[in-house]
Amino acid sequence: MQTAVPQIQCQAVSHSLRSGQQDLQILDQIDFEIERGEFVAVVGPSGSGKSTLLGILAGLERPKQGSVRFDGMALEQASEDQLALWRRKHVGFVFQNFQLLGNLSARENILLPLELIGMQNAGQRADELLADVGLAQRGHHYPSQLSGGEQQRVALARAFGHGPEVLFADEPTGNLDLETGAQALDLLLRLREAQGTTLVLVTHDASLAEKAGRRLRLVGGRLVHDSSKQDTNA
Amino acid sequence: MNPRFTLRLLARESRGARGRMLFFVACLALGVGAVTGVSALVSAVRTGLASESRQLLAADLKVDSRAPLPEELDELIASLEPLAVAGTVELATMLAAPPKGDQTTGSSRLVELKAAGAGYPFYGELETKPAGLRPDQLAADEVLAASELCAALDLQTGDELQIGGQGYRLAGQLLFEPDRLKFGLSLGPRVFLSTEGLARTNLLDFGSRVTYARLIKLPEWTTERGLEQWQKALQPREGGNARRKVQTHRQAQPNVERSLRNVERYLGLVALLSLLLGGVGVAQVVRVWIEERTQAVAVQRSLGLRPGEILQLYLIHVLLLAGFASLLGCLFGWLLPLVAARIAPEFISTEAALAAPWPILVRGLGLGLSIAMLFALGPLTAIYKVSPVLVLRSEAAPLEIPRWMRWLTALLLLLGIFASAWVQADSAKVGAVFSAGLLLLVLLLVLGARLAIWIATHLPRQSLGLYLRNGLSCLARPGAGTTATIVALGLGVHVIAALLLVETRLSRELRDGLPSDAPSLFLIDVQPDQWDGLQDLLARYEAQHTSSTPVIMARLAQIDGRPVRELAEERKEDKGRASWVLTREQRLTWSRDLPATNKLTQGAWFKDDGIPEVSLEQRFAKDLGASIGTRLTFDLQGVPVEFVVSSLREVDWVSFSINFFLVVEPGSLEGAPFSYLASARVAPSKEQALQDDLVAGFRNVTLLRLGPMLEKIAGVLERIATGVRVLGWIAVGAGLAILAGAISAGGLRRRREVALQKTLGMTRAGVVMLLAVEYAMIGLVAGLCGTLAAYALAWGFLEQQLKLAHELNWWLLPIFVLGSALLATTCGLLSSLRTLATRPAASLRA
Repeated sequence: MQTAVPQIQCQAVSHSLRSGQQDLQILDQIDFEIERGEFVAVVGPSGSGKSTLLGILAGLERPKQGSVRFDGMALEQASEDQLALWRRKHVGFVFQNFQLLGNLSARENILLPLELIGMQNAGQRADELLADVGLAQRGHHYPSQLSGGEQQRVALARAFGHGPEVLFADEPTGNLDLETGAQALDLLLRLREAQGTTLVLVTHDASLAEKAGRRLRLVGGRLVHDSSKQDTNA
Repeated sequence: MNPRFTLRLLARESRGARGRMLFFVACLALGVGAVTGVSALVSAVRTGLASESRQLLAADLKVDSRAPLPEELDELIASLEPLAVAGTVELATMLAAPPKGDQTTGSSRLVELKAAGAGYPFYGELETKPAGLRPDQLAADEVLAASELCAALDLQTGDELQIGGQGYRLAGQLLFEPDRLKFGLSLGPRVFLSTEGLARTNLLDFGSRVTYARLIKLPEWTTERGLEQWQKALQPREGGNARRKVQTHRQAQPNVERSLRNVERYLGLVALLSLLLGGVGVAQVVRVWIEERTQAVAVQRSLGLRPGEILQLYLIHVLLLAGFASLLGCLFGWLLPLVAARIAPEFISTEAALAAPWPILVRGLGLGLSIAMLFALGPLTAIYKVSPVLVLRSEAAPLEIPRWMRWLTALLLLLGIFASAWVQADSAKVGAVFSAGLLLLVLLLVLGARLAIWIATHLPRQSLGLYLRNGLSCLARPGAGTTATIVALGLGVHVIAALLLVETRLSRELRDGLPSDAPSLFLIDVQPDQWDGLQDLLARYEAQHTSSTPVIMARLAQIDGRPVRELAEERKEDKGRASWVLTREQRLTWSRDLPATNKLTQGAWFKDDGIPEVSLEQRFAKDLGASIGTRLTFDLQGVPVEFVVSSLREVDWVSFSINFFLVVEPGSLEGAPFSYLASARVAPSKEQALQDDLVAGFRNVTLLRLGPMLEKIAGVLERIATGVRVLGWIAVGAGLAILAGAISAGGLRRRREVALQKTLGMTRAGVVMLLAVEYAMIGLVAGLCGTLAAYALAWGFLEQQLKLAHELNWWLLPIFVLGSALLATTCGLLSSLRTLATRPAASLRA
């Protein structure tokens, strides 16, 4: 019988940052696995290490100890270039502050990852994505000419455009009002559903976390609760 | 990344960067413009000379000699069947005007006399007033005099002039002579007469320095190869006694060519400094650009762009901008000769200015691109420091730039500067000295800047008052680019200050720096039997420090048994050593004692051991390639005489006493014909009267007055200094552009600060004061460091190189420092107008 390898394996990951003369422990011995297509919410109070964990899982940062594997590939052993190529193909991002490139129009922001993977008909695909997020008429507008909600929709279109296998979202509704945030979240979940993308979402928002199939709770850099498991790591 | 995608990214990256691009382009275009401008200007002068080369020789071919040309040469020329031949004879002598009013003797001048045969000039036209006068058609008692001489002596056509003891009638004025450079140094104005007219004097019988020449006209279709064959045929035979120079019109004015090369080299290096400053500006713009784009780079990296790809993107961006800026600079450089042709048509013709010097423009483009890339590379590697995790956390620690990359960029920059200087000076040695000097200067300026920042950081600022405190703190603000701005502005100030210090000191030396016992005039070609009479004349004019030295003209034939012609041929391959020291006519003197203004540096003064000895001036010995024990064989009117170098001397040339490169042992030249070179000091008010009496009584003796000669040299110095000064100001301009660029690049941050300051209640005038203090501080530090370094350079050059007592003008120091502060403040405030207009409400959106 063949055992399927989990898509993401986080093994004994620890991380610290230098603060003045001492090291500040941000993550401490984090262990978990994520299966393909899962929707995992990472929750916890401010400073608990949620964003750091997201960065490490996405290959944006290397853990001080432990290992993160994606489909069996150890990210911490890959070079900067290899990580970039991996993100280019397999990963999408949505950020709290949208992180749209200010000198590019909405359409060009969406085009960037499509062109990076050398997609044929990238322009057509970008137009489809703009239509999907309800901004078909705003493609030529620059981020500064769009509202927060519109910017986040562009960011979602950019994140899903190239069909990533996993999407990392950092407080995607954190900068939006309740109604706009709910609309953005609906869109995010709809796109994920349509593409079967694994979603790892960092949030403070309990109601948002409730929508996830699984919740990981971090406190003081330690994983204190994994809703997929019976027991709780105190 | 495929090229199309790269281009698209590139176009997108260019948006909203107008300000940045403007300063990038301004910095680089200014530097490239200076570099190409200097070369294009020199090239235009050169093109003008080349296109007029036949005119500059007045013939296709010229044979000249200090001795009368033999009949065999004329027969040889005739046998080769030229189109025409004309003979000329030139010498410097004195001319006296008719007495005016109650004068007993007329005013006199040193003039350059020229007798020309029929046909002269074969190319170009003599312009005369009345028109159409030609030397060969003048009667034996007629002369043509240069218009400036007529003006100086108030001469009218028909006036009776005295030359070499004979009377001549002024037939007209000479307005233009094709084979005489308009901007060269000469002993005096030109006077033409016919060959018969010259024969009436007995100037040729004395030891005067006469040049005899044959001008040859060849058929129009004569090729360069044909010219060379002619030249070869007329060269004196190997081992023969004949001494003559044969030059084609293509080799006309070798001295001018040498001077042009020197001017191009030195002005070119000052221009290169502007370009390097442009490079500093580029580096600063790129540094701020990458800083501003840090977040975007992080996003690009998080989306999967590799650091190398992002670097490539920005490099292409820099390359395109640098290409545009360099083209603009080249255009400016190309236009410069045209402007010069309008301002000074006597130097450059419009046709010569219009001839586009493509190699120069290509070199300017290449230098602009290379300097921009080299200076941008370092700041661009900061891309590697941008962590992609910045998209999640703004305080993410920067990544490490690979060590090899840091070393490689530094090494490339150093090599690039050296290579540029090498290309610009056409000499690896000069390039290396320039690069080393520049490195030293930059280190000094960096140290000065760092010290200023350290003081600004550590000084107890509480008691300094609001504006001074804030101004000082701005110097130390992270990312303010203070060091780069101070280095750039300081380099510009340095060039201007060093030039002014050297120039004022040299001008003073030339104008009134003569030692009190220095001679004020020299008397050339005094025959031994004239000396007593001449001494009486000098005594009548209360001359002091009168002295005379015997002079014998000779040619060097061999060094250690090797013919100098062979050595001179070898020297032609070696650009660093001149061959003319070997082949020119040498003046020898003898002396029992070491002259007072000489100091022995090697060997011993003459011993009576039966071997004829010679003492050499040490730099002349170096040029000759001679040292103690070297055997020098001279050709003394056909007789070979050998000397052994027994000592080397250091000569104090600034004393203006009579000094010689070659002093031989007394008695070793017994029986050889000689003349005296005499010197004396006469009150300036009596010089003209003495000169007039001399012309009347000693017609073969030539008088050189030091005062007017020094004035002429000072004039030439002034012209060169003007060129360097213009380039120095371009360097200062580049420094100010960099300051403006730094201010503009940090504009966003500044606007936020100003908005906050206004929100907190500061008035607009208060903000102006704050900014003014900051810019003044930058200007002060740059001015102080640049000027102090200029004093060091001026001291080194004047004291060590020219051996002049340094006596520098210290009162210039505060002027330079304050001037630099004023310039920086004005330029800084003008660049901050947009910042000053920021409204307080902007702080709410920050």
